[in-house]
Amino acid sequence: MTREGGAEPLSAVLTGVVAAAALAVVGCLLWGLRSLILPASIGGLLAYVCRPIVDRLERYGIQRGLAVGVLLLVLGAVALASLSSIRAVMPSQIEALELRVRVLYSLNHRYQALMGLDPSWTRGNRLYQLLNRDLDPLLDRVSEVLALTGEERAQLAASRDRGAGGGPAPLDRLLAYERVNAQTLEVRARRAGAAVQATGGSPEPGFLRRMAPSAVGVLLSTWMIAPLIFLFLLWDTGNIKRGLLRAVPNRLFEPALAVLADVDQALGDYLRGIARECCALGATVFVLLLLVGVPPQWALAIGTFTGLSNLIPYMGFVAALVSGLAYSLLAKDVNSLIPFVTDENFPIWVVAAVVVAELLKNAVYEPVVLGSAVKLHPLAVVVGALGGATLFGPAGMFLAIPVITVVKVLVASTARHLSVYGLV
Amino acid sequence: MSSTDKLRGLKRLLLRQRSDPGSSDLAARRLRAMYLPLESRGKERNESLAEFLAQVTLFEGLGRGDRLRLARVLHERDFADGEYICKEHAPGAALFILRRGIVEIVSGEGAGEVPLALLEPPASFEEAGALGVGVRRWFSVRARGPVSLLALGRSDLDALIGSFPELANKVLVRMAGMLAVRLQMRIDAEALGSAGASEEVEP
Repeated sequence: MTREGGAEPLSAVLTGVVAAAALAVVGCLLWGLRSLILPASIGGLLAYVCRPIVDRLERYGIQRGLAVGVLLLVLGAVALASLSSIRAVMPSQIEALELRVRVLYSLNHRYQALMGLDPSWTRGNRLYQLLNRDLDPLLDRVSEVLALTGEERAQLAASRDRGAGGGPAPLDRLLAYERVNAQTLEVRARRAGAAVQATGGSPEPGFLRRMAPSAVGVLLSTWMIAPLIFLFLLWDTGNIKRGLLRAVPNRLFEPALAVLADVDQALGDYLRGIARECCALGATVFVLLLLVGVPPQWALAIGTFTGLSNLIPYMGFVAALVSGLAYSLLAKDVNSLIPFVTDENFPIWVVAAVVVAELLKNAVYEPVVLGSAVKLHPLAVVVGALGGATLFGPAGMFLAIPVITVVKVLVASTARHLSVYGLV
Repeated sequence: MSSTDKLRGLKRLLLRQRSDPGSSDLAARRLRAMYLPLESRGKERNESLAEFLAQVTLFEGLGRGDRLRLARVLHERDFADGEYICKEHAPGAALFILRRGIVEIVSGEGAGEVPLALLEPPASFEEAGALGVGVRRWFSVRARGPVSLLALGRSDLDALIGSFPELANKVLVRMAGMLAVRLQMRIDAEALGSAGASEEVEP
């Protein structure tokens, strides 16, 4: 009796130590393989979403392998069509340079006007005094990305020459914009005490230009796992679930089945809910931007971008605001359905449209469309998203809410079923 | 013989499941079912299970394709002698199909345990568990000797309803029929029990 009494606590301690060691190993593995988390999760989620389609095809008598092949063909065709339509609206290299010059000019011009800045960019109105410490660095960074290098400036000038039929360089408006941009950058750099001259007036290259080819290779090889996981999970006809349940002892079989059913239900509800919410938000942004005078193709692009960004908490609003404002800064000759929208107040109307869309999302879509699929406290969402971003970068931010939802259901369901089955 | 013994005997008789009472090759089918190889996974596993499922009353009338689809979602479980497959008072989460060995259905625990029935392959039990009706069991099922079972979870049936509704519909109709028969037997047994008790009270 004494030996048995002593063995029980020892066994419990051993179990605890083994569980803690297993948790530590899982944690280390997750940390070591964190670059694979996002592609693997995206592959898995896509397979989860597409699985009913393959099942439906199979129901119509198509073999599963063929059904997966058909789905892949359709997805490939859709991806190709999307890429070609994106490429069609994407500016060429020279057009991109022109766009950057126009955007930077417009940005500087509007910022100077809004803040009441003098030509030396040192004194401004009260708004500037209030916000300059936050906004100036931001503007500097955006300017760094947009400003042309010496080589790009030469390319642009050469293209203007060719456009003029090989004659003498025309003093067109774009080159005038570029000169103003360069002067503004110089003035602001001088003001900030930074020696822009040291780099020959050329700003630091942007993120994409700094990215080494090897990094692109690593990124591509990491993302190779996404289609593999997608295919593997789509092809699976229950082996994974059966394999998981085979490892469960007999007395835990029924509770494990019930917990898996609850988790499946919660994940399905979340994915369906978030997909509906993204579609509703994207459509709202599209309609509202159309109303304030954004052309249909741009409204559609911004709406789609907003809907996709909404997969990450709070990013839908940021995406709509940034892309809408970027467009409004460039827009000229606005034709709005609302009579009092002008070129000058157009950005304000765009911001208003985005804010209305966000309010609609918070007041209507989240409670009605997402409904009870995600019963998380807003604080948990914020902390989860920020914690995920801190630990795992964009992957953590993207996966924070589904992971929190699944873990919450897993813990609650496990506790409930263990109690119902008299196991605790 | 007391009325309690009569009632126990009647319950055993009523709850003993017959896969096909009218069939002459019942013994051969049971024998075949008991000695089917238990492949762990893959195509052979599904083929073997589909062949076995053809002998289960619940899945009678299903085509080979349907049985193969069903085989994909079934879980294989092995139980040792005396191990409980499911226990009284707990809610069901799966339907079980006996593939090899014998199980006994009992009510109560310890000294108050009442044996109710013995089931042989290819019997099925706990249909209510797969339907997810949330009713707690009034009996326990225990392995008598080594037992191999197939289990169809509630979530598996839900997935089947979503993916293959026609197949799920056939299975659900059979399960509803089976449950109705069991309910009728229970009502009859209760009625007989009451009648027996009143007979005993009478001088």
